[in-house]
Amino acid sequence: MKQLSIMVDMDRCIGCKTCVVACRNHHGLVDHRNDMPGEIPYYIKVESKSEGTFPDLTEDFWVSPCKHCKTAPCATACESGAIRKDKQTGIVLIDKDLCVGAQKCIEKCPYGVIQFNKAKNYAHKCNMCFDRVIHGQEPVCVEACITDALSFGEKEILKMRAEAKGKEIVKKMSSQSIIYVKSATQ
Amino acid sequence: MYEDGWIPTVCYQCKAECSILAHVKDGVVCEVKGNPRARGKMCVKGMAGITSLYSKERLTHPMKRVGERGEGKFEKISWDEAMEMMESKLRALHEKGEGHKFTYSMFPHSATDPKWRFMNAYGGFITTGLPHCDSAKIMSHLHAFGCFPNHHIAPIYYSVPKGGLMIMAGRHPFGCMDDASVARDILDAKERGAKLIVIDPIFRTEAAKADWWIPIKPGGDASFFLGVCNYLIENDLYNKDFCEKWVREGDMDNIKSYIADKTPEKMSAICEVPAADIIKLAKMVAEAPSACIDAFKSIMYGNAMDWGHVWSIFLVITGNLDNPGGQPLPELTPMAPVEPIPTGPDLKELGYHRTGPNREKFDNYNFIMQPTWYAPQAIKEGNLKIFFATECNPALSEMGSSVWRDAVTLKDDDGNYMLDFFMVSEILPSETMKWADLVLPDQTNYERWELLYMPWWYNYSHGAAICRPVVKPVGEARHTNNVIIDLGKKMFPEYFAFKDDVEYYDIELAGVGMSIQKLLDNGGMWNTGAAGFYKYKDSGKFGTPSGKIELEFQMYANIGKEWPDPAMPVEFKVDEEKFPFILVNIRSMFMNNTGAWSHNNAQLRDPVSGVDSNPIMINPLDAKKLNINDGDTVSMESSTATASSIVQLTEKIKPGCVGIIHGFGQTVGKVATQSGPWINDNDLIADAGSHLDQQDLCGGEAHVSTRVNIYK
Repeated sequence: MKQLSIMVDMDRCIGCKTCVVACRNHHGLVDHRNDMPGEIPYYIKVESKSEGTFPDLTEDFWVSPCKHCKTAPCATACESGAIRKDKQTGIVLIDKDLCVGAQKCIEKCPYGVIQFNKAKNYAHKCNMCFDRVIHGQEPVCVEACITDALSFGEKEILKMRAEAKGKEIVKKMSSQSIIYVKSATQ
Repeated sequence: MYEDGWIPTVCYQCKAECSILAHVKDGVVCEVKGNPRARGKMCVKGMAGITSLYSKERLTHPMKRVGERGEGKFEKISWDEAMEMMESKLRALHEKGEGHKFTYSMFPHSATDPKWRFMNAYGGFITTGLPHCDSAKIMSHLHAFGCFPNHHIAPIYYSVPKGGLMIMAGRHPFGCMDDASVARDILDAKERGAKLIVIDPIFRTEAAKADWWIPIKPGGDASFFLGVCNYLIENDLYNKDFCEKWVREGDMDNIKSYIADKTPEKMSAICEVPAADIIKLAKMVAEAPSACIDAFKSIMYGNAMDWGHVWSIFLVITGNLDNPGGQPLPELTPMAPVEPIPTGPDLKELGYHRTGPNREKFDNYNFIMQPTWYAPQAIKEGNLKIFFATECNPALSEMGSSVWRDAVTLKDDDGNYMLDFFMVSEILPSETMKWADLVLPDQTNYERWELLYMPWWYNYSHGAAICRPVVKPVGEARHTNNVIIDLGKKMFPEYFAFKDDVEYYDIELAGVGMSIQKLLDNGGMWNTGAAGFYKYKDSGKFGTPSGKIELEFQMYANIGKEWPDPAMPVEFKVDEEKFPFILVNIRSMFMNNTGAWSHNNAQLRDPVSGVDSNPIMINPLDAKKLNINDGDTVSMESSTATASSIVQLTEKIKPGCVGIIHGFGQTVGKVATQSGPWINDNDLIADAGSHLDQQDLCGGEAHVSTRVNIYK
């Protein structure tokens, strides 16, 4: 199958959240004039995990957007046919014109990445910058990443790139379209 | 004048001022990103700049105070009235022959900033954060090898070779204070085999990516690196060829005598890093093709000049000057002067820290600018009468900030404010504004012209970038540069004969073969990226009086400071029992320190895209002794103030230290006040003017940290 993916190099992600804001700007998710902290929608978030006790510590950072699941529970749950997995790209898309605001997709999403616009009654989420990628551009989070921790392309090619750089796939975190990698030596 | 498209300009969410592209659609900035012709990156603060631009809290018209200072009550006035207020106050002071009692706190974007020009014409002084952040590094490097590498002239990480050492000492470059590309460059260098070593009492993102994290006692950097230098010299592991050729005759013999007893074991007792680790680093340095030190927070303690001196010694004896992976040495390339040039007042004669009762003590101090932190003292002594503040927030950023706030409300026997007039120009509401007599709405970087050029470097080498208006200004906002140029035209027409800011920049740029139009035609910037290496070999000398590297600081012989003292900062040596913890105030990549813009920027205070609180970080070992649990509300008490906030237990902080983010404390603006909880670190720190016994009087550095006690 065709699957466009994002690869997250955890050796390089510093948790700076630049991608979160770049994504919001590009997709027009912010009402710059009025929005208050805690109420601004987002399509990507930063997570981290630290382990150990002082002074033997480690900490990893990574980003977590929609995984564009192989069999997307959100699409299965949607009764109005507003959610589909695009055959050409593998991107899971919500058609907000077909969305009736039932929010079943939000209940079923195992990653909690679907947002809901109460005022306009539709669900929305990361579309891997469909508008950009069909024109040969990278998703905006990949372009904006200040450490080049994110890369974009066909899943199988990203996996080859990771191997060439001596990176291992973190299988327990990786999913259909988001691949997490770390240096094999770490 | 305005057009749609991706327009090259410059970010100003922090002082790094990265070259960017702004996407303008239908006259609105909708997206921004790093300019690929420059270094191609833009950080989270920069990305959130659009929110500052369009926030409904933007200051949109001039206002004058109607209540008492501190009440924050204002009424709208016209620009004409605002200009008249400033002109009449300024003329009155100037006519009394007291121009030196006017100070302007700001950050000059170029050394020829028109506001600075006005101050020189008037006979007043500018102050910047530079003396807080940089002075010890600048002065020690100037003394040792005669160049001016301020903290924006960090090591060039893209030049670090395989095996080179990148040493961060209390420095957090992933916060993008130099350029948004720095984090990428460091990680690229690491991928090609350079080593990242982080020396820091707190395990932060840089430490998480490091090959080696060395937790150190805050303020222990001078002793730590003296131990390293001792090992290198005692074991003949230093760069003898370099030192023989370039170090002043006699200095190597003298340093050997001085450093003989600064053994790793003795230094370990001060900095609390095991001697074996000091020796391990010395051996790594001896074998590495290059080593550089990037320090920022560590150079702000009371022993800053000692640490700056040791830092210089380390670079010299390892030969890491102006080499790939070492400390770059920028040369000076001034722009064309705008004739006639106003001559500024004599800082040593008239600067306000020189005019008080401690004048003689300050004669040891040798810095190029008025430090900000004696302003309250100067107000009390009648040496500061008019104060302007642009894009800065002294009500929060001054150490002992409550003393600053008290000082600006002091009245004389006649009931008049001791500080006669106070103007603030800002983009968004700031804490400082509450005390202002006049508030002027400034323009963001998306609405104004600004020339980015320093006679040393701008972002890694000689270059310039032009910030240009890409959209119409909001409300009646005017760029303060133009306001001050207009004042200059009225008061000192001979020095302000040029048409406007753009013509002023054009005259300056002609001196280096450029113009505004050429910069615009070239994609908004000019920078070859050529830093140059070993430039001292071309000239055959360094920029010191002797032309050689001067390790012994003979200019400080009168105060016995020819060589650095390994001791801990003086502020940490008092009241150790009463205040057992060292306060470490850290920088966050989401905040531009006390800058009002980031604290009132909804995206930067949002939990998903920024930081929404400022808890007190405590190691669980310390918390257990104090019977404190995660999330408890505790008091943090210093010798001068007490504040309270919630506790965050974390293994990431060295026992004996407590950490909070620097810069919080804003009580003005909906965004800043909604998020929390927080502590303003500067309220806890002793005011410089009233605690001179704790102040460094030889290096021009302030103390930005202090001892505290924690209790429920």
